[in-house]
Amino acid sequence: MSDTHDRQPLEVTRRQVLEAGTIVSVSGLLPVAAQAQAPSPQPAPENGATVQVSFHVNGQPSALEIDARASLLDMLRERLGMVGAKKGCDHGQCGACTVHIDGRRVASCLTLAAKVDGRDVTTIEGIGRADALHPMQQAFIDHDALQCGYCTPGQIMAAIACVKEGHASTPEEIREYMSGNICRCGAYVGIVAAIEQAAPLIERS
Amino acid sequence: MTQERTADRPRVDAYEKVLGRALYAADQPIAGLLHAMTVPATIAKGRIEAIDMTAAQNVRGVVRIFTHEDFSQIKTTPAARGAYGQPGKGHQPMTSPVVRHRGEPVALVVAETLEAAIEGAEAVKVRYASEPFSARMEDDLASPEAEPDRQLSSGDAEAAFATADHRVDVEYLHPQQHHNPIELISTTAAFEDGELRIYEGTQAASAFAGGLAGMMGMDPTRLRGVSPYTGGGFGQKNGIQEQSVLVASAAVLLRRPVKLVMSRSQLFHTASYRPRSRHRVRLGADEQGRLLAGLYETVQQNGRYDGFACDHGANPPRMYGYGAWRGSDRIVRVDTQTPGHQRAPHEHPSSYATECAMDELAEAVGMDPVELRLANDAQSDPITGKPFSSRHLADCLRRGAELFGWSRRMREPGALVADNGDLIGLGVACGSYKASMTAAVTTLRLFASGRCDIATSGHEMGQGIRSVIAAELIEILGVDPTKLDVRIGDTGHAPQHITAGSWGTGSAAPAARGAALKLRDELSLLTGAPLSEEPVHVQLARTRRPSLEVTVNTIPLGKDAQVIEQLRRGIPSTTGPEYPDFMAFSWIAHFAEVHVETSTGRVRVKRVVSVADCGRVMNRRTAESQVRGGVVWGIGAALREAGETDPRFGGVLNNDLAEYVVPVNADIGAIDVDFIDQPDFKLNMSGVKGLGEVAMVGAAAAVVNAVYNATGRRVRHLPIRIEDLL
Repeated sequence: MSDTHDRQPLEVTRRQVLEAGTIVSVSGLLPVAAQAQAPSPQPAPENGATVQVSFHVNGQPSALEIDARASLLDMLRERLGMVGAKKGCDHGQCGACTVHIDGRRVASCLTLAAKVDGRDVTTIEGIGRADALHPMQQAFIDHDALQCGYCTPGQIMAAIACVKEGHASTPEEIREYMSGNICRCGAYVGIVAAIEQAAPLIERS
Repeated sequence: MTQERTADRPRVDAYEKVLGRALYAADQPIAGLLHAMTVPATIAKGRIEAIDMTAAQNVRGVVRIFTHEDFSQIKTTPAARGAYGQPGKGHQPMTSPVVRHRGEPVALVVAETLEAAIEGAEAVKVRYASEPFSARMEDDLASPEAEPDRQLSSGDAEAAFATADHRVDVEYLHPQQHHNPIELISTTAAFEDGELRIYEGTQAASAFAGGLAGMMGMDPTRLRGVSPYTGGGFGQKNGIQEQSVLVASAAVLLRRPVKLVMSRSQLFHTASYRPRSRHRVRLGADEQGRLLAGLYETVQQNGRYDGFACDHGANPPRMYGYGAWRGSDRIVRVDTQTPGHQRAPHEHPSSYATECAMDELAEAVGMDPVELRLANDAQSDPITGKPFSSRHLADCLRRGAELFGWSRRMREPGALVADNGDLIGLGVACGSYKASMTAAVTTLRLFASGRCDIATSGHEMGQGIRSVIAAELIEILGVDPTKLDVRIGDTGHAPQHITAGSWGTGSAAPAARGAALKLRDELSLLTGAPLSEEPVHVQLARTRRPSLEVTVNTIPLGKDAQVIEQLRRGIPSTTGPEYPDFMAFSWIAHFAEVHVETSTGRVRVKRVVSVADCGRVMNRRTAESQVRGGVVWGIGAALREAGETDPRFGGVLNNDLAEYVVPVNADIGAIDVDFIDQPDFKLNMSGVKGLGEVAMVGAAAAVVNAVYNATGRRVRHLPIRIEDLL
């Protein structure tokens, strides 16, 4: 096993960390100021072939140079610090990463970041405020259409799109058009009820 | 401050969740974060001969590639994945060249970006020396344990069975299932405020932090476990993951924060799952349907090295007044990853087998399945002879039958037909789950401003534990829930017992209530009079104190003060179901209506009615959600879910959410929920038992029994698929 890296077994590093004052019990004796971790480059460099993207996210202009392989989801979460959209599968199978591009719902994990150049992206952070919830957010609270909350941002973004598409006229239709968003906690009954409540308050597109 | 037994309030963290502001483990804003990706083993058993990292090291952005040579100092302790607290068990990958299951991490690539980490991981080349293995309990090299894992008996069940008027002798097969919470299991290790902080959506922050410290040889007080929100746990996140110590060690070695979000496909191999099991059930009854004998033998597929128990036999004898019982549970060991606790770990499979067998017995005796169960109701445990602390199962059955319209059911299968020609089937099944409790150290602070914060043990994973804690503070102190901060899931706030086994509410509610009562008493001492109806913070302000703080140790029934020290050390310590004077369980009855399309065999679950006895209901809204979730899991188990192990290569073939099929919105019809809502004060001062697990127990059996009622087919394996009904 050839290795050009400077190999450090864990024991050595414990000493190293001791020097940094972080882990081992006696480190409690060291001043807190000495307990900093190693400095890191900021922001992290993009490593592969990069592309320039300019777009609006929740109405705000944004432009960055990004690894051409990066997904929209990883751009939002890991570059822009917008962590409302969630990663549940990274394969477009669960819907937790659902956002809107120009008003249409997409799985942001299956969308290359490069594809949103010139587009409007809307995420869960952009649809309502704590003091003025979007009707769909309020309906999710009213019907307890969530449990752990992890799939919820994606469910709400899909639900708003479902109504705007005109696919919320009956419970059966809602169930069908919301089936791309898995809720493992099983809040489906509440989700259907929430969409029925919010639908009349949301303008069709 | 009035008693609101079935309060219906929004869950306290719903706001954060609908705004997308609830920060899960992988959401933490940490400067300079490095991204990690694991390289999974491509053999099921053997040794690593060589790892060629040349190409991976040349990937731009790759910072470091770790292998077992870097981590040989990591100790496999009873806290390691698969050990379940037992010395000598468990397996921590990457501490030696040994590979014990397919998909275990053999290298960890750390890079500046996620894309570089993925590219780097794909470029690592590993050469193995593989060895013969068995991936399924039916395979040649599988190893049955010599002795049963558990045996329970009462009376001479063999003899009673032999002479019974009516007998059923059936075997059911339960497949491997995977939890698949939508939150991927992630680990982030960062240095903050002079300590190593590990963010992971764990259900057991103290055991996690203490366990990691032990494995890494570190002072546990310098390691803080933070599980801010858990994006669904279901038991998969109740221990240290295979990745946890690797990420923490990588961060220490690199002196930089590192995040690993395990991919869904790898989680099918590294995280826990419900093991495959076989269940032989023999039931004997007299002419009136009274249960004379139950014989129950189970076999469960475990990993070669794990300490996971086989406990299927624990609950079935407690369901009915069996004249005699004999049960045994056996383990067969194979070369796969270690299984673990998945929602109602053994109670769900055992209820599937025994409640379906009850349906077959009802048929044999010629009795209605609800009547058969009512005729065998029990108020004491046939095994220990102890009474149940509370048991309203008969009420659950009667109320459920009424809400459901059970009287529509025809005994003859296929006799009910819908307008469109679908066959309609109605089924019933019951369930139970032990009522357990754990210790807590709770600190409650009330501020004269009206703000209130409470730090206690518990992890929020969707069950609504913050709402439960809030409910007690609202009831005792009348605090404003919008000014309440519930600090849980973080060893920096309070010691964190593992939250699992349906003991969350039974532990957190009495802890919160006890702290609220103590604070009320202390405030009353300060004011010199009993408290008035005025808000408590106004009464506190009048004493000219900015705040009032109390700390309370909650010791559950049947334990002593030692349990607090165990809690602080992260050692699980639970009570129940057997207490000095009684046995304690939650109970449930499920009724399912299925429609079966005759040409395709497609089964739709149109409606489920579930009535639960979980003691006092803390919050009607979150409790209903929890039961609906359990029912959805039951439907998934009955009709959808199975992990397909590849006997040739030892991996899970359907290792993503497209191929491991879980219920989606269109699979779920109406689920109506009701509660008996009778507090059980014998158990704790809040009167609560547990709900999250019992909600699932029996739900799958109700669906299977309904499929029989629709089609006349007894399908004795799960899931029931179209090909079983054509």
